[in-house]
Amino acid sequence: MASGIKDKVVILGMGCTAFGERWDMSSDMLMAEAFAEALADAGIDKGRIEAAWFGSALDDFNVGNSAIPLATALRLQNIPVTRVENMCATGTEALRGAVYAVAAGAVDVAMALGVEKLKDTGFGGLPIRTKGSVNDLWMPYGSSPGTFAQLAGAYRAKHGIAAADLKRGMAHVSWKSHQNGANSPKAHLRKPVEMDAILNAPMISDPLGLYDCCGVSDGAACAIVTTPEIARSLGKSPADLVAVKALQVCTSNGWESQYGEWDGASVRNTRVAAGRAYLEAGIRDPKGEIGMTEVHDCFSITELVTMEDLGLSAEGRATFDILDGRYDRDGAIPAQVDGGLKCFGHPVGASGLRMAYEVHAQLLGRAGQRQLRQIDFGLTHNLGGQPSNSVSSVAIFGRL
Amino acid sequence: MAEASLKSVAGYLPLLRFDRKVARAELRWSGLGGSGRGRRAVAGWDEDALTMAVEAARGVVAAGLPESVVFASTSSPFTDRSMAGIMAEALRLERAVVAQDTANSRRAATTALIKALRGGATELVAAGEKRAAQPGSAQHLNWGDGAAAALVGPGKGIARLLGAATINADLLDVFTSADGGLPYAAEDRFVRDKAAGEVYLPAVKAALEKAGVAAADIAVAVMPEPVDGVYAALVRACGLKAPNLCAEISQQAGELGAAMPLFGLALALDRAEPGAKLLVAGFGNGADALVFEVTGPGTGTAAAALRQGVVLTSYTRLLNLTGRLPLDWGPRSEVNQKVSASTLLRHGRDMHGFVGGRDQGGNVQFPKTPIPVRPDAEGAETYQDVPLADVPAKVVSITADRLNFTPDPPFHFGLVQFDNGARVAMEHCDIEGSSPEVGDPVRMRFRIKSIDRQRHFRSYFWKAAPAERPDLPAEG
Repeated sequence: MASGIKDKVVILGMGCTAFGERWDMSSDMLMAEAFAEALADAGIDKGRIEAAWFGSALDDFNVGNSAIPLATALRLQNIPVTRVENMCATGTEALRGAVYAVAAGAVDVAMALGVEKLKDTGFGGLPIRTKGSVNDLWMPYGSSPGTFAQLAGAYRAKHGIAAADLKRGMAHVSWKSHQNGANSPKAHLRKPVEMDAILNAPMISDPLGLYDCCGVSDGAACAIVTTPEIARSLGKSPADLVAVKALQVCTSNGWESQYGEWDGASVRNTRVAAGRAYLEAGIRDPKGEIGMTEVHDCFSITELVTMEDLGLSAEGRATFDILDGRYDRDGAIPAQVDGGLKCFGHPVGASGLRMAYEVHAQLLGRAGQRQLRQIDFGLTHNLGGQPSNSVSSVAIFGRL
Repeated sequence: MAEASLKSVAGYLPLLRFDRKVARAELRWSGLGGSGRGRRAVAGWDEDALTMAVEAARGVVAAGLPESVVFASTSSPFTDRSMAGIMAEALRLERAVVAQDTANSRRAATTALIKALRGGATELVAAGEKRAAQPGSAQHLNWGDGAAAALVGPGKGIARLLGAATINADLLDVFTSADGGLPYAAEDRFVRDKAAGEVYLPAVKAALEKAGVAAADIAVAVMPEPVDGVYAALVRACGLKAPNLCAEISQQAGELGAAMPLFGLALALDRAEPGAKLLVAGFGNGADALVFEVTGPGTGTAAAALRQGVVLTSYTRLLNLTGRLPLDWGPRSEVNQKVSASTLLRHGRDMHGFVGGRDQGGNVQFPKTPIPVRPDAEGAETYQDVPLADVPAKVVSITADRLNFTPDPPFHFGLVQFDNGARVAMEHCDIEGSSPEVGDPVRMRFRIKSIDRQRHFRSYFWKAAPAERPDLPAEG
């Protein structure tokens, strides 16, 4: 029986660029910036890295396909570099590749780097992409907010939540993230926003208004991983190290969108991935043990539903938990303390690694004015695609 | 002569009715606002002559499966792509059905109907129109978008042809050239005098004579008028006493071109009693005149189409929907919508017919995939075809999206659950005002899926529409 990933791999170093409208930076410059920070944090030479995983979700926009852009940007010396793409779970998928390689004993030190350069597209929001020549014959050309907005109506129908209550809950999600983003020096959006502005913002996809949606950003993030033993041999003490406790990915097979059972009010992949991750990490009481989360708050309704999918709120109660401040910075389980996708930003291929960067900082006590009280476990979550057809990742980090 | 009878006739109108008062007010400065009376039917951005003809045809094919189909239109979206063939696929007819496109005349449908009635076989004649016209022209406000279809076949039906006649005359009341693309009209007074006296009168007289019916015995007339006053002049000339339903249709929905005679025939059958004599004509560079005797009830579709709809009060939205307002939709509209010819050949029949499949475990899904979505499916299975277009369905999830480009925002889409178990991510159409709620019933409509503006191509698929249309308010 597989033993899982728990405590087999530690993060040796992490780096993350400032996210945002990096008009002066190309993707290779972003990669170099994140890598330089991670390498310095790890305290090793570039030559120690034996394999790399490169995450970029939108290869046709400004980065280029294959692993070559990473190898070229960082001038990696003929090591294996693998490009991965799994929509918004891309960054975590890259990390999973690097972590698995180390855990398998194939290499001693591996690297994961995610990058996206979206602001050169010339418009806001994610680019519109073909779904393939067959699917384009019938599948709707829905936008990202449109696909996630549908959670709201189905959630209301399932739980009997009044539209106004749900809207207020969603608004609180965004309000909280704007508050947190103001404390993140590298965040894309660093301005608090009043509740009235959120509630009365122009509609993007009913019922998601402008402030219910994260923007898209330029940015890169990087993790260098190794085994605990090698880390110690490099002079790292346990206090300098964050261990990977669990790393799970779950992918839709069409059940939600083609089989007539899903109610549209939750994301099954997140539930499955979370269940496996808790098992892998040995967490029996997520509500009591998870100290912080960085979840995929691409839209406010996503964060709201995710809190139930992760088992942190009871079924149908996330709206009220959110309004009670449970996920605020000073709440029981702070979420998006760096601002999240909503305000730190969302360069798609980098986002999973950005989340890990914040959890890493919090666990090591390096988060400055964002530093939370003592936490034992931090959870990151990505949701690629759309609720009805998704890739969900859940990772859990802690100390050795 | 082994003539067939009319088995079923149906009419279809798009949801929106533009209030002509709006144009009169908007164009007052120019003097080009028209009479301001009545409304015209306006097709959605995703409707064209074919999609509307398919919708009309759906109303008649239950009466019998045709051996041949005719698509009649002066506004076919393609000059070299068989619309009749796609219509046959949308109606899930046999591949071997004879499919004919007939065009270039507002008489296209009546001429085809005469031939079908004389042919004796089971044949579908479906006409649709979405004609372009220049803003400021009478045609832009007076013409309407719509469709109608007739199924003919051997044996007793709902009406039998008593007599028919045709007159050809190159009377240019209005013409549209392939080069110009927009109609050009002659002087109204000339058209009124000559259309009545030299075109309609000889055709109607000949048809009545063949039918052995006196003009005064015609209960209902369906006679498209190229300009006001033509029917009144004809009444004076030949003794007709019947009301002309085309006047009512023009007032409420607009002049429907090649679809007008069949739509009027459908409306007449919705209202007439058995035994009533109907005079139906097609007009355009001549005339076809047909005399029917009613032998059964209509489908009710034309009367319902006239009664139901939503009033459009935005002149700029009318311009947009009629393709006369080139708005800058920004870079999000630059998405490449090229359709692969090989993909279309491989999957088009299931797409046009909305054909899903029942797997070996009994679950229905769309589209069919090698391994079914059924959770206990282990490997590839074969499917039994299951058409979904007429299966009751309801909303699972939905949104009104304003981010991605659509020619007439917002863009409604979401998951739709069919009563037979199939679940499909679908676009919605015909939504005015608030969005449907989760659980609301929907019905399927054949629509344009995407328009490739670079290559002037369009693909077709089905969309979910609210199951019921509201009744139109009384004209104010």
